[in-house]
Amino acid sequence: MSALAIHPAPVARQAGLLLQWQFRRMSRFLPLLVVVQILLAMTTVLGYGLLVGTPPPEQALYLATGASTVTLVMVGLVMTPQMVAQARTEGSLDWMRTLPVPRPVFLGADLALWTLIALPGMVLGVVSGALKFHVHLSLSPWLPVAAIVVSLTAACVGYAIACLLPPQVAQLVSQVLVFVVLLFSPVSFPASRLPGWLAQAHQWLPVQPMADAMRATLVSDTFTMPTRSTIVLAVWCVASIAVATWSLRKRA
Amino acid sequence: MDDVLVIEGLRKRYGTPPKGVQANDGVDLRIGAGQVVGLLGHNGAGKTTLVNQVVGLVLPDEGSITLGGFDAVARPEEARRLASVQAQANVPITGLTPRRAIDLVGRLRGGGRADVRRRTEHLLDALDLGPWADVTAEKVSGGVARLTAFAMAAVAPGALVVLDEPTNDVDPVRRRLLWTEIRRIADEGAAVLLVTHNVREAETVVDRVTILDHGHVLADETPAGLVGFYGSEGLEDVYIDLVGSGEHGSENAEENVA
Repeated sequence: MSALAIHPAPVARQAGLLLQWQFRRMSRFLPLLVVVQILLAMTTVLGYGLLVGTPPPEQALYLATGASTVTLVMVGLVMTPQMVAQARTEGSLDWMRTLPVPRPVFLGADLALWTLIALPGMVLGVVSGALKFHVHLSLSPWLPVAAIVVSLTAACVGYAIACLLPPQVAQLVSQVLVFVVLLFSPVSFPASRLPGWLAQAHQWLPVQPMADAMRATLVSDTFTMPTRSTIVLAVWCVASIAVATWSLRKRA
Repeated sequence: MDDVLVIEGLRKRYGTPPKGVQANDGVDLRIGAGQVVGLLGHNGAGKTTLVNQVVGLVLPDEGSITLGGFDAVARPEEARRLASVQAQANVPITGLTPRRAIDLVGRLRGGGRADVRRRTEHLLDALDLGPWADVTAEKVSGGVARLTAFAMAAVAPGALVVLDEPTNDVDPVRRRLLWTEIRRIADEGAAVLLVTHNVREAETVVDRVTILDHGHVLADETPAGLVGFYGSEGLEDVYIDLVGSGEHGSENAEENVA
């Protein structure tokens, strides 16, 4: 092999190789991660069920569909920052950044991995919610798009948090986000239950539109995606990808 | 000899005066194809900052870096295409075996499957890593992990190979094998920038030595030239005289040594 004739692999092959690298590196913990996501999704359904008893039909729909959003958001907003912060601390992120791989390919490979980890929990969360609360699902063909956009946006926001904040702070922020998302975001209950100021804040934050997108595609005969939510989610999606890519390109 | 890497007037400061550190303070450096240049200096002399600027992880305050004819500051993606790096800290490869890690990096850098496989086999054999080649990384020693990291940088080396402390944790027998491989990479046409504290062993491999002290270049010369100029027994003595004699004792050396 000539030392000077290095031409990086095509982007698609690089993405596949990176995915393989990350997958193998996490192989020992991958089953555990997937199980934790499944437990999280089912706990959201069953735990909220214990709290509220037998909910009325509309509330049941919120609880049954909320678990899928919680799983996708948790993986993106909580697990991604923790993993990226760890990679920064141990130096592997900087070394990976010396490889001749375009930054969006890094992001794409990581996001694909996070989405795959979240997928079983999301599916089982929906199924267990539908069974527990006797909810009739009406799946929209837009469901895969909604799931990918939600997962992508959450993971990009998580990525940006991990790249821009000091690693310890990023881990702390991700832990605080667990409580914010689980208890103080209109995911498993309607926004009308929140205090006015918090409901107003959620009009501009990404979690409510994510929940709207999942509900509207899981129970499409009951919920629709509000235009405002579509716009807010689209803006967050584009902005978070841009910030995550920029944070990977950023030089000290 | 064609210059692969040309660094001129490079300055980088972390933090603002009067606090902070001037990590690089007007560094000039050239490495030609086929050359091994040893970058020596005390801890905090600015060696890793210099390396990180070459591969686009750190943005210089002033100065230029030309790598393979490209402006590496303006086009860091070209720098990464042309340079392969062994980082100072071991890259964790838990879950991977040395063979798999070397192979994946070679293919990520654009090597063909067969070429990379052949090159991986060569490196595993040349560094005597055979017994650990298929053992998962969490079960190998620090020295084997270090050699694996070297092989990851050497499998598809590019025009410039940057090695930051490649001999750390490596046993004396395999260190000798490692030096042979470093020399071989240069003999095959790459430029090698070698950051090391292992001065005595590096002396046998490097074509030129650049000594950094508090971000300044104190000396840039062949090992024989330095040893002859100072009338010392070896490069390590020169290095200790220049850097170890005190923070200020080395200022004249910059004027004296070309």
